[in-house]
Amino acid sequence: MEAFAGLLHGFDVALKPINLLWGFIGVTLGTFVGVLPGVGPALTVAMLLPLTAQLDPTGALIMFAGIYYGAMFGGSTTTILLNTPGESASIATALEGNRMAKNGRAGPALATSAIGSFVAGTIAVALLTLLAPVVVEVALKFGPAEYFALMVFAFTTVASVLGASTTRGLASLFVGLALGLVGIDSQTGQPRFAFGVPELLDGIDVVVLAVGLFAVGETLYVAAYTSRLPETLEKMSGSLWMSRDDWKRSWPAWLRATAIGFPFGSIPAGGAEIPTFLSYSLEKKLSRHPQDFGNGAIEGVAGPEAANNASATGVLVPLLTLGIPTSATAAILLTAFQNYGIQPGPLLFQIQPDLVWGLIASMYVGNVILLILNLPLIGIWVKVLSIPRPLLYAGILVFATLGAYSLHQSWVDLLTLYAFGLLGFAMRRFDIPVAPAVIGLILGPLAETQFRRALSISQGDASVFFTQPIAATFLAVTALLVVAPWVARRAAFRRRG
Amino acid sequence: MRRSGAEVALSLGVLALGAGIAVGTAFLPSQGGYARIGPNFIPAVVAIGLIVAGAFLLYEALTGGWRSMPAAAERAEHALHWGAFGWVSAGLVAHMALIRWGGFVVAGAVLFACVARGFGSTRTLRDAGIGLAITLGVFLFFVRVLNVSLPGGWLKFLVGGL
Repeated sequence: MEAFAGLLHGFDVALKPINLLWGFIGVTLGTFVGVLPGVGPALTVAMLLPLTAQLDPTGALIMFAGIYYGAMFGGSTTTILLNTPGESASIATALEGNRMAKNGRAGPALATSAIGSFVAGTIAVALLTLLAPVVVEVALKFGPAEYFALMVFAFTTVASVLGASTTRGLASLFVGLALGLVGIDSQTGQPRFAFGVPELLDGIDVVVLAVGLFAVGETLYVAAYTSRLPETLEKMSGSLWMSRDDWKRSWPAWLRATAIGFPFGSIPAGGAEIPTFLSYSLEKKLSRHPQDFGNGAIEGVAGPEAANNASATGVLVPLLTLGIPTSATAAILLTAFQNYGIQPGPLLFQIQPDLVWGLIASMYVGNVILLILNLPLIGIWVKVLSIPRPLLYAGILVFATLGAYSLHQSWVDLLTLYAFGLLGFAMRRFDIPVAPAVIGLILGPLAETQFRRALSISQGDASVFFTQPIAATFLAVTALLVVAPWVARRAAFRRRG
Repeated sequence: MRRSGAEVALSLGVLALGAGIAVGTAFLPSQGGYARIGPNFIPAVVAIGLIVAGAFLLYEALTGGWRSMPAAAERAEHALHWGAFGWVSAGLVAHMALIRWGGFVVAGAVLFACVARGFGSTRTLRDAGIGLAITLGVFLFFVRVLNVSLPGGWLKFLVGGL
């Protein structure tokens, strides 16, 4: 029961008054920023990164856990009341949630999403507690070849399984990998693609890319394409409380969605989009009130919201135990770790158990804070939504530029920020997924290091990737993921003649 | 048949990036000690990946448009508003130019007013005032509380900073 002892010790860390305070501030800030329309969890975490500059690593990471949860909850509030899903994982929630709000049932919709997130989040953290030590045990036996194969698997699933088009997903991934080449080669010290600019020798910062793509790109897109459209904010009318019937319909949905969301998040397949839609269609199929779907069925909010939260927690399994981020938010969290010189992975559980278990324990605490803080304060968060759009987006850009500038105090970062903003604008307009680029940038250099290490050990013999069973399995599954959909489409095409 | 000039241009952009990386790779050394591959190996792989992805995108763009794009009706967009795009861009460029010289507070207030203008606000003076209040607050918080240094610029005599 090493995990249990570790967790108990983690609670010692997380419940220290100062760490509780950081968690509390994190949840509040995360919710406040997450409520802003168009600001998803990844951007919230990226924009609030500079705030932790002066904190010790444990306090900072606990604050981030709070920001992460707060941002997710804030995002669902916006989705339900404004029908502007901040990220693809909230689209399923928007379907029924906004309907409920239109029918004057915004209160129960927000309540089922908050309580569902709490239930799913807590169960998912418990599963994380149990699963992490097991994965760590296995991961300790991994060598560079296994890590490389695993990262290739993660790249492929993120780029090709998620999103509408494999072609666009791969293009986005390779752009991210190309950006990851910039800077000094970690193995030989050779500068690559820096063009003699000193600021580029350090490489391109993931925060600049993420804030550029998400904040600047989104603002440019909204200004150019939707700022002249009328917008309807649903009122928070009626009771906040769920009726007995609401509870009866929500409970099973929360639990089923947790069972779907957590595994999806924890295998390196990233993205909460698939589990939220799976949960939505499952609830639709099982519901005793199928006629309610499309008119505001509470199961249709409870399920996807719980699935979203469970999968977001599941994503922390590969992040903490293997050091592999599989969502844009996880990529930013990894940057936060790296800023403190911490490399997540199996060794982290042995070298800094205080930090890891403190972080995991603070997620239990964060979930509770979220529930007791946010449900009563919902009225305040809703007010944030009525800030006029011109001032809102102006404020978002002030904070986005602050985040980029405070990294190195250099206007070069502001120029790259704007360049990434233009890229993000085009990607948003032409439906090119953004997450593969962010993950490619941070994971690309790590994958290259593992690849070259593996070859150094084998004296340049590339067969290591195919003769070691674990590495070979991951690569085979990856190949299958790329080829299978294509073959299936061909076959279907032939049958139709 | 639908053909979008922007899709063709973006596809060519991906191809050009791939070609650029390929050229840059040619100048990188190839020795790598025990691994037998040098710092030029992965860049070559990335260049090939970009060229292949770009070629596929171009093929799709030329044969009926990129696949599985959301339908126009699903998008809820109005026609591209160049004025809005221009104001937001102008704000970001002005901010870049002003940050060292005018300082964080002034640059931020100008950015704030420009973006608000881009979103259709007509009360530019009021916006600049709100922007000034926000950036001043943020500046003081970062410099005095968090000890993160930010440029004071024109207001340095008042607020301190770099």
